[in-house]
Amino acid sequence: MAYEEEIEAFIRATFEQNYEQLRLESGQALAPNVKETALNQVLLYWRKLRAIAEAVTDTEVHLSLPGCETPQGREYTIEGVVDILQEEGRTVMYDVKTHDADFVRANPEDYEQQLNVYAHIWQELRQQDLDEMAVIATAFPETLQDALASGDPDMLAYHLERWEPVIPIAFDERRVEETIRAFGAVVDAIEENRFAPRPVADLNVELPGARRERFAARICRNCDARFSCTSFREYAWKPGYRDAGEPALRPYFVDPPPDAEQEHWRAAGLEAAPDTAELRADFGR
Amino acid sequence: MTTFEQQVPLLTDRSVTLEKLWQLAHFQPNDAQREAILHVEGPLYLTAGPGSGKTRVLLWRTVNLIVFHDVAPGEIFLSTFTEKAALQLREGLQSLLGLVTNLNGKPYDLSQMYIGTVHSLCQRLLSDRRRFSAGRQRNRPPTLLDELDQYFHLSKARTWATVTAAAGLGVDPNAAVNAAFGSPSQSKHVAVTHCIAIFNRFSEECLDPAVALERLANDDGQLRAYFQQWKRDPTQVALLLRLYMAYRDSLTTEEGALTDFSLLQQEAYRALMAFPDAGKAFRHVIVDEYQDTNTIQERIFFKLASGTGNLCVVGDDDQALYRFRGATVENFVEFPTRCQAYLSLTPRRISLATTYRSRKHIVDFYTAFMKQTNWAKGDGQPGFYRVMDKDIQPYQCDPLPAVVASTPAEPTAVCAEIATLVRALLDAGKVEDPNQIAFLFPSLKYQGEMTQPVSRMKAALEAVGLKVYAPRAGRFLDVEEACDVFGIFVQIFGCPSRADLPGHDYSAYHDWLARVEANGKQLMQADPRLEQFVKDRRGELVRAAQDYHALMEVAEQHRWDLDAPYQLQVMKRVLHNAPRLSERGKQLLASKFLDQAVERRAAQGQPVTLRYVVRRVTSLDWSLLDLFYQLCGFEHLKQMFDQAETGHDEGPVSNLGLITQYLARFMDQQAPILTAELFVDGLFNRIFFASYLFALYRRGETEIEDAEDPFPKGRIPFLTIHQAKGLEFPVVVLGNPRKDAREPADAEVLVRPFLEREPGEPLERMGELDAMRMFYVALSRARNLLVLAHYQGRGQHMNEPFKALLDANFPRIPALDPATIPPAQLQEAPLPKIYSFTADYLMYQRCPRQYMIFRKYGFAPARSETMFFGSLVHSTLEDLHHELIRRREGRERTTSDRSGYEERG
Repeated sequence: MAYEEEIEAFIRATFEQNYEQLRLESGQALAPNVKETALNQVLLYWRKLRAIAEAVTDTEVHLSLPGCETPQGREYTIEGVVDILQEEGRTVMYDVKTHDADFVRANPEDYEQQLNVYAHIWQELRQQDLDEMAVIATAFPETLQDALASGDPDMLAYHLERWEPVIPIAFDERRVEETIRAFGAVVDAIEENRFAPRPVADLNVELPGARRERFAARICRNCDARFSCTSFREYAWKPGYRDAGEPALRPYFVDPPPDAEQEHWRAAGLEAAPDTAELRADFGR
Repeated sequence: MTTFEQQVPLLTDRSVTLEKLWQLAHFQPNDAQREAILHVEGPLYLTAGPGSGKTRVLLWRTVNLIVFHDVAPGEIFLSTFTEKAALQLREGLQSLLGLVTNLNGKPYDLSQMYIGTVHSLCQRLLSDRRRFSAGRQRNRPPTLLDELDQYFHLSKARTWATVTAAAGLGVDPNAAVNAAFGSPSQSKHVAVTHCIAIFNRFSEECLDPAVALERLANDDGQLRAYFQQWKRDPTQVALLLRLYMAYRDSLTTEEGALTDFSLLQQEAYRALMAFPDAGKAFRHVIVDEYQDTNTIQERIFFKLASGTGNLCVVGDDDQALYRFRGATVENFVEFPTRCQAYLSLTPRRISLATTYRSRKHIVDFYTAFMKQTNWAKGDGQPGFYRVMDKDIQPYQCDPLPAVVASTPAEPTAVCAEIATLVRALLDAGKVEDPNQIAFLFPSLKYQGEMTQPVSRMKAALEAVGLKVYAPRAGRFLDVEEACDVFGIFVQIFGCPSRADLPGHDYSAYHDWLARVEANGKQLMQADPRLEQFVKDRRGELVRAAQDYHALMEVAEQHRWDLDAPYQLQVMKRVLHNAPRLSERGKQLLASKFLDQAVERRAAQGQPVTLRYVVRRVTSLDWSLLDLFYQLCGFEHLKQMFDQAETGHDEGPVSNLGLITQYLARFMDQQAPILTAELFVDGLFNRIFFASYLFALYRRGETEIEDAEDPFPKGRIPFLTIHQAKGLEFPVVVLGNPRKDAREPADAEVLVRPFLEREPGEPLERMGELDAMRMFYVALSRARNLLVLAHYQGRGQHMNEPFKALLDANFPRIPALDPATIPPAQLQEAPLPKIYSFTADYLMYQRCPRQYMIFRKYGFAPARSETMFFGSLVHSTLEDLHHELIRRREGRERTTSDRSGYEERG
């Protein structure tokens, strides 16, 4: 077997094992097409970023910054996990995310904060060199998704070529102190039980990026706890959100997810569901 | 404490010594602690009094091994009693080693270190291909059944029938099984519960049922005499052994091997015995809470240390609490002898005797308490059932009273006096939050109901405006939040009808159902939107069932086989035209996603069946967890979240979080999705209400162990003494100084004649000695103040030692000046916690409320595909990277090997 095929076979086999393991542990399943998307993310990562994948010298490196202190005087440690590549005297730090590249490019803030703190630990405390940092966004764009679905190898090759999943992150030492201060404040807030939701104004903010989604659509919409959330209710019950209407006119909202999502969920549920005949045998009268 | 900036000069000086690390971490060990930390070679026997800093010693000893003695983290096996303790140690180690890394630039990867409970380590050991497998195959460990899973497995109709039949019982086996335990019950639940207890004990003692049966068969009268003395019938003992055998067989299933917590350890032990270098796989074996280990665990630990002799055990026999789980305190008390037997080595004994926790008066009191009984073995045997020379000394020596008893009186008066004191302590600011005052009881409930001393005390506190958090008092299903949620569930799914069946549990459960049904109705009456919501959900159930019948009718008319492939072209249109098929049903049938799935599966040669299509089209749009989260949007439940968001009261939300975990467990195993099939003949009601919830109810199911922060703010925790193990509180109230010595447990009596080890404490004394240790644990939880309830009057009774100690001169509550109680403050800085950049900081920043619900209270999400997806991609990428690294290293090794060869050549 050629080397590439060997690796692909390894990916498929490992993926299947991991899937089974997670399935056993969680009792859940993925809809077959979602599962395929997950596999494709890994396969395309390998095809597109083979040079990086092969040069990774350390995977899942735990970085920690002990001895931090919050504004309220609590001592804590910051921890993070990255991949490190060292090749011909060059060191690159990667953070692999299952996000899409467009989103990462449009919202560099969080990623910059994160990688700059990691870089600080790596360079200042471990005193090791670092030449570059980047986020690898494994979720592929729609064009690539369509190309995969089409089964046309030329089209796939074309879009694979144009896909840019590696987003370089700029060094900025000033970020570090600022981020660590903000981190400390968060630790205090957690320890002091401050858990109010984001204000409704935040929910209306449109996030940068190609999809032009509002915060509520990207974050809240996927949060199971939205029904009981004061901010989300205020947001959702404003005219303009789906079927508009005064709260008094709405008996309640159940807010069904979009069709595609709901159908994937349905398929996954059936995938995981036990055989009804077996249930009958176990729970007969 | 220094700030990060101030630490920089210390950090940038690159030399590392243990003293410097202690300085950086603000730790000053005493002599015994230092000696223990520096011990490296050979067995170590650490007796550690309450609050003597043993966690720090374990932590620093591990750091010493890793940093200064070149022991790789992967060469350490560190076993703790709970996952929470393991997490704390891991966090502490990560912090300290992070500190070292930043000094010497050397990274320490803890991922290879074995740290966790014995059970989790056994599981890991069984799947560890690098260490314990020939040929680096990835072993597939058996699927682990936790306690509740084990119960469901054995009580499942098919398993129970098979197991009892294999043991030679007929169609109605329950009475026969119960009779073997001396119980007249007819109940399967009782039989299964008894069986599990004894099976687990058999497993922990590594009892071979075949050998035991043979011994019974060839008995020369000795066994018969023993069983006669303890009023057991040898033929019934034989029945239990046969049942045990059959149970073990039932764990081999078509889907793969299953195991339970107890047998898991045997499997791990077997794997070790089969592996030639098992005794050298770890350079250091460290076991915390060694007094609560059992026989199989002792064998595992000694086996692991057999190649090195480096076995360090830490514990306190006085705090041994887990005999009922098969623990044998002799493992600890007799450790020096066992060390000789297994390793031919004498361990170094170090006593951590300075206690930093409690004020002097408290230490004096619990020390005097333990002297109230005779620990000598007697019967001509030398020695004691206790490590006698621990000599616990307090670090703080203030002379003021720190232990008070209530004025001896009838219970209501005692509770009122204690409640008033608690109120005064809170008002005087002696504690910061009610959750710093713990009420401890030998048990909180009996047969699922809160015991009288507990309910009386709770009422007294509530009467002075204080709230109580008592997760283990009474049944979890009786808590208000459970009654609310399941009350509405009953309104939606319908209440299972009450049959004319015998049994206290059955009628009690149906009483509960009736109560929650009424409760649900009340909630609906109070909230018309909720009423409308329930009606609409009910309507959807009816509609799904009607659709199911409509589709089945069509299939029948056309004589279509439900298990044959679904023929899109032919069947879709016909089904779509089914009379009485609802609009929703039509939509789902016409869904392009369904068509795509059908085509994809056909192309893969695994066509979907007609049955699949019927199930899919008649499935509801929501799962049980979806329903739960929607219900939380109605005012009554919503305000519970509002309360927690400000840290005002975390109790209700903690309980709601537990409900999601129970719902998730049910969904994972029985109904990830609700299809109409489940509703047409009442199957759902049988599996959910009549089986699952009923089992939770009668097992008196309580909370799942919470890894962090188990005591919600704003409430006074009521705990069993067992729950308080390892914890400390500024103020402790012993709510009931009474624990009656019962007959030794079935498991003790039945297993004893078959033991392959020294039997240990005599059956006759077990109850008394166990009660001593239990109260010792309770008394030693207190830091600043220990309060004892002194009940008097008819039917009131205290254990002997209390009777002797609480004499006329004993300090009483009315004489206590609360001003003399030091305010609650942490004596030692807590170990720094680790916060993850992504899972804590970014998640909190994204939404503090979402963080609270899912990360802090562990709510099970309803839609977790994204998480599953993320874990799957990440773990596969990680494996890919490992594989590529492995291949590259392989190539490099081959190249360098070759060059080496050439040079020599």
